[in-house]
Amino acid sequence: MIALTTPYLWFATRATGIVVMLLFTAVVALGTLVANRVGGTFIGRFEVNEVHRSLSMVAMFFLAIHIVTTVLDSFVSTGLISAFIPMTSTYKRVPVALGAVAFDLLLAVWISSLLKLRIKNQSWRFIHWFSWLAFATSLVHGYLTGTDAHKGIGMLLVAGCAGFVALAGIWRFLGRPTRAAGRTALSPLASPPVPPRPRLPESFPKTPPRPPASRGRR
Amino acid sequence: MGVIRRTGMFILQVNPILCDGFGHCAELAPELVHLDEWGYPIISKEPVPMADLGSYESARYAERGCPRQALHVAKVNSPAPVSNVPLNLPRPARAVSRERRPL
Repeated sequence: MIALTTPYLWFATRATGIVVMLLFTAVVALGTLVANRVGGTFIGRFEVNEVHRSLSMVAMFFLAIHIVTTVLDSFVSTGLISAFIPMTSTYKRVPVALGAVAFDLLLAVWISSLLKLRIKNQSWRFIHWFSWLAFATSLVHGYLTGTDAHKGIGMLLVAGCAGFVALAGIWRFLGRPTRAAGRTALSPLASPPVPPRPRLPESFPKTPPRPPASRGRR
Repeated sequence: MGVIRRTGMFILQVNPILCDGFGHCAELAPELVHLDEWGYPIISKEPVPMADLGSYESARYAERGCPRQALHVAKVNSPAPVSNVPLNLPRPARAVSRERRPL
């Protein structure tokens, strides 16, 4: 049982705050890589996507630790409600509120991604834009709340993450391909366009003869 | 301990309106999906037996990995399509503009 008066919960909050910032920087940057269709040569495009998805789950895990340790810690009077509802914290009301807003936006992004196969892709994409807003809000939250964010390495990290994601965002819109970016090198280039199907069992009825196939975009 | 019998067939359908040619499907299911020279998928309309576990797993991965949710693994009971247009899918229309929609 951890005594709630030890400083270790507070240290854990500060440390996981920095880790979450770095992780979400990586997640957002990887998301721009997916959107701009990087990959297909030495790394598959689907692999970039999988790393983006997996790393976002790791980031959500560390964010959970960040929030739970903040709530449990008795050094600041931030309750569980303040993690979800803005402007309910007596400790640093506005900066913690920014964190709550970012967390709510991230929850929307996370849940919509979990339900991605069930909801319309348009809705998912619209909600996924919130991640930029969530990142910006959380960065301001980190700068205003962070004990380590005003000097030395902490400030360098905040500025570095902000600049990196800003550059990634600019590249996201300037460097995106306007059409499908062609074949990927991992795709089977040399094989015939329509692969041979496995043979049907003999008990199945024969396929009736078809009219001559007319391909859509030829 | 029981034996799972995979009966029936499936077809990997692509919705050409949603598809933006990311090419993830061809990497995830290379035995089912081939890309044309613009990077859009060409998928055979022949049903594949469910018993072909590797292909079925690849199809599920491709369905999950598509960034535009344009793929769907449809289970079919009939062994082969009777019509040339076997599914209730819009045909790839020539007139549909491939311009990127405003974001």
